[in-house]
Amino acid sequence: MGNIQLGVTIMLINMTIVFAVLFGLCIMIRVIHAVDPTNKKKEVAPAKAAPAPAPAAAPVAAPKADNSAVIAVIAAAVAAYEGDDVKIVTVRPVESTTWKNAGRAVGIANKV
Amino acid sequence: MGIFDAFGTALQALWHDSGFYSLTMGNVIMMLVGCILMYMAFAKEFEPLLLGPISFGCIIANFPATHMLDEPGAMQLISFGIKYEVFPPLIFMGVGAMTDFGPLLANPNTILLGAAAQFGVFIALFGAMALGFTPHQASAIGIIGGADGPTAIYMSAKMAPELLGAIAVAAYSYMSLVPLIQPPIMMAFTTKAERQIRMGQLRQVSKFEKIVFPVVCTIVISLLLPPVAALIAMLMLGNLLRESGVTDRLSDTAQNALCNIVTIFLGTGTGMTMNADDFLRLQTIEIICLGLVAFAGGTWAGLMFAKIMNLVMGGTINPLIGSAGVSAVPMAARVSQVVGQKACPGNFLLMQAMGPNVAGVIGTAVAAGAMLAILGTPNK
Repeated sequence: MGNIQLGVTIMLINMTIVFAVLFGLCIMIRVIHAVDPTNKKKEVAPAKAAPAPAPAAAPVAAPKADNSAVIAVIAAAVAAYEGDDVKIVTVRPVESTTWKNAGRAVGIANKV
Repeated sequence: MGIFDAFGTALQALWHDSGFYSLTMGNVIMMLVGCILMYMAFAKEFEPLLLGPISFGCIIANFPATHMLDEPGAMQLISFGIKYEVFPPLIFMGVGAMTDFGPLLANPNTILLGAAAQFGVFIALFGAMALGFTPHQASAIGIIGGADGPTAIYMSAKMAPELLGAIAVAAYSYMSLVPLIQPPIMMAFTTKAERQIRMGQLRQVSKFEKIVFPVVCTIVISLLLPPVAALIAMLMLGNLLRESGVTDRLSDTAQNALCNIVTIFLGTGTGMTMNADDFLRLQTIEIICLGLVAFAGGTWAGLMFAKIMNLVMGGTINPLIGSAGVSAVPMAARVSQVVGQKACPGNFLLMQAMGPNVAGVIGTAVAAGAMLAILGTPNK
């Protein structure tokens, strides 16, 4: 019984420590986000761009090279994914490297 | 006749000095075990990058009369890399360089799923102590549940070096079986409605956050839990090299050349601990069984905590991402994605699951540090 009691004690103490430390990291992540100076610049920039979103989107969406085939494939994929009640407004490169990398990983692995 | 006598004496000496003379049945069995592990690694592709060198190291370890670990040389150096915990932190630097903490930073609540999944570690610890292992041995066995090979080897080298071989084999074997072990548990403990929950897109994470997080994380955890400072520091150093944007060469080296070199030595060194005397015991079978309990327990605990979070947060958390708290990166996250898509085609959970997945790496290191801090290392 001694070993079992000791095991339960170690289990409870260590789980408490793990949760406490990771909860502290959770708080710390939120603080980092709150004090992020680049975050404030991004919040201001979209406000300035809001008055003219349509004209701004058009130049970005209009590629210099002829990517009409790529755009057609993307449109077809989105239509197949979402159904018919979807209208494609613009096609532009994804800024987030996270999604880019995720897409590439899925494509390369070809398992998901 | 003198020449023949000399010839006979020389042959006799050669035979007595050869490994064949000292070969025991245990050595033969362990060489067969090495061959089986090699088959699993190369034919079935069970973690081949680690199990391959481990299997060959296992064969090498059972050559009698080599004295390769007693005499200075390459093999002794490789064994020292395991014995003095050199290789695990170096591997962690490569892991850090390959890790994107973005999904975790975008949704910090998922770090708690990484914590919950560590429950598997302590279930196994409890089970090991109930079976008669010492607390130090039980803590090393329990870390198998963290699904983190380098941490398992680091912990075993400190707490139970005599069990290192069995623990490493169990850890890496179960890591490769994550796609088989987790889905039945995920299906059993979640409802179809829960599996169909779609989660919102993650916000974009700034470079500032990605650079500050590893620095602050290292400082906080290293000051709190000094025994794992080496692991955490190297993990976050690797991540910093990746995220800084100005150290691409170093990041590339850490992810590729360095990681591959250390993987070879880590695997070979781990295999070289699998000599017959230490491996062929009932304890090895118990460790392998406890490893399965640890994995299953971690998956279950992550799922349960995710269900609780889902209730608290108004149905916005798909419980399937909870199982990704087991730090088998990125396999556990992919399993969440696959099971989620089966319930709801078009439900893309991969990036959401990466948050708890990478949190699990930190969680396992913290769990190891907590046990090291409380139990201390045994007198060597």
